[in-house]
Amino acid sequence: MAVERGEIENFLYHEARLMDEHAYADWLALFTDDARYWVPSNDDDADPSTHVAIIYDDRNRMGERVFRLSGTIAHSQEPRSRTSRMISNVEIGDEENGEVTVYANFNLTQLRRGRQETFAGRTVHKLRQENGSFKIALRKVLLVNNDEPINNLSFLV
Amino acid sequence: MTTVKGHIDYDALVLEDRVHGSIYTDPNIFEDEMDKIFHNWWLYVGHESEIPKSGDYRLTWIGRQSVIMSRDEDGNVQLFMNRCRHRANAVCQDEKGNANFFRCWFHGWTYSNKGDLIGVPYAGRYDDSFKKEDMGLTKVPRVGTYRGFIFGSLSATGISLDDHLGHSKATIDAFIEASPKGQVVVRAGVHKGTYKGNWKFVGMDGYHPAFAHKAVNDLMQRKETGFEAKDRDTLVPSRSLEEAFGEHSLNKAWDLGGGHVRLDIWPMKRQVMDGVLERLTSTEAGRSYLESMEQAYGKEMAREHIATQDPHVGIWPNLQLIGVQIRVIRPLSVDETEVFMYPTALEDVPEEINEVRLREHEWFYGPASFGSPDDYEMFERNQMGLSAQVNPWLLVSRGLGREDKHPNGTISGSVTDETPQRGQFIHWKKVMSGG
Repeated sequence: MAVERGEIENFLYHEARLMDEHAYADWLALFTDDARYWVPSNDDDADPSTHVAIIYDDRNRMGERVFRLSGTIAHSQEPRSRTSRMISNVEIGDEENGEVTVYANFNLTQLRRGRQETFAGRTVHKLRQENGSFKIALRKVLLVNNDEPINNLSFLV
Repeated sequence: MTTVKGHIDYDALVLEDRVHGSIYTDPNIFEDEMDKIFHNWWLYVGHESEIPKSGDYRLTWIGRQSVIMSRDEDGNVQLFMNRCRHRANAVCQDEKGNANFFRCWFHGWTYSNKGDLIGVPYAGRYDDSFKKEDMGLTKVPRVGTYRGFIFGSLSATGISLDDHLGHSKATIDAFIEASPKGQVVVRAGVHKGTYKGNWKFVGMDGYHPAFAHKAVNDLMQRKETGFEAKDRDTLVPSRSLEEAFGEHSLNKAWDLGGGHVRLDIWPMKRQVMDGVLERLTSTEAGRSYLESMEQAYGKEMAREHIATQDPHVGIWPNLQLIGVQIRVIRPLSVDETEVFMYPTALEDVPEEINEVRLREHEWFYGPASFGSPDDYEMFERNQMGLSAQVNPWLLVSRGLGREDKHPNGTISGSVTDETPQRGQFIHWKKVMSGG
């Protein structure tokens, strides 16, 4: 599996844009059937089998998450958050079993109800090549503030 | 001691069927609450399982005051004010850990984990009036525990913990008796939340689920029947939501006295137990869990304990037991509140059972869950609404005059009644009036 930095970065930017545009169905379609979406709570290295997570979705729960944000009314996204995120510091890690691990930093600004907040951290993606592009098998988000009180993380982070 | 200038007539603010909005918006009332409730009453501080070994400690709060909760070398629970007896430095800086002593890094004063002052650098410049034995970390005046739950009071006098807990004790029993050992373990981290609204909005409302949690209702509908409405606004209550929190639900709402209130979801939980046990026994872990519960409690009580593991109770003023979580409410200001949710594990059950508890908790609770953010949104909209003060009254009359009053002093209504709100306000008024 030969990966080009440019391809990887474009893919990460594409995912980020879909999240900022609230294009939920398109974002969900980027994930494999056995995908995991994981945002640890309190400690980046917490083991989800014994420690609660902020998000620890399998593909089914991701589908529920997307339905909540588009097919019904989630009051904490009425009105929707306005977000703009930056992806940077991309490092391409190991390749194993057709999956490449990609690390990146992100910084996102969120505005809702007149309150503007920054969220930042590091992402770990495991990507599988498919049809000239990628699918996401793992999206892990290490929030800088995962041990601080958070008001509303309903928007896609 | 009151910091409020002038007298507030709480009798005029809390009536039988309504309350005045200022109880949620007046900073003077908030300061009075800090004095009379949070720095005076029995507050939940932590759980014994958080400090199992000698030397273990956790930093926590009583109201706005920083407190160290620790297990000393004799195995006793200690609550100390986190303040050096020298010049008031916050001695403990880590959220949790294990230590035989606490060192204040300002001037090097050192305390044992029993709070004794054991080290004073360059002590020669103090005269004979300085006695180390009188200079230990200040203890929280009263400490009490009930079956692993640790409470503290900053007042040296007042009603006993046992009297305070009153009828809420049985709800703590129910929460922990889902374990064959009759104990929960706090070891799975914490969801830390916050919202811009008054602390008295949190929890114990059986009327709001279909509406505030429309998203949850529609997710349950989708799960149960596959139905997804074409129009987002359409509300079709799901069967399980109707059964639990509908107008004709068998479930109830309670005022247990002493400010303690609950949503009694046990009638419906008991009704669906056959299905619950069928699903439970379809896995190895579930079969093992049920077997150990039956061994501990007998077949009938095992079933009852599993049915009643969620007491959905508010233990006044700062503790709630909901789902699998211990929830702690900390007011920061009149319109800002912190809510910490500690999902608990059951002691001595298969790991898979405890893992399922975590994943179920994450579904509804926590900052990115499908439930909690919508609650906080409602609380913030409430605080916004309270700014419109031409008519200052909030109506809390739902179910009034139609409730059952029980011989032991408790009151029950239908699950959507405002029995819990009235129960909390009656006690709040009593305490705030100095009664």
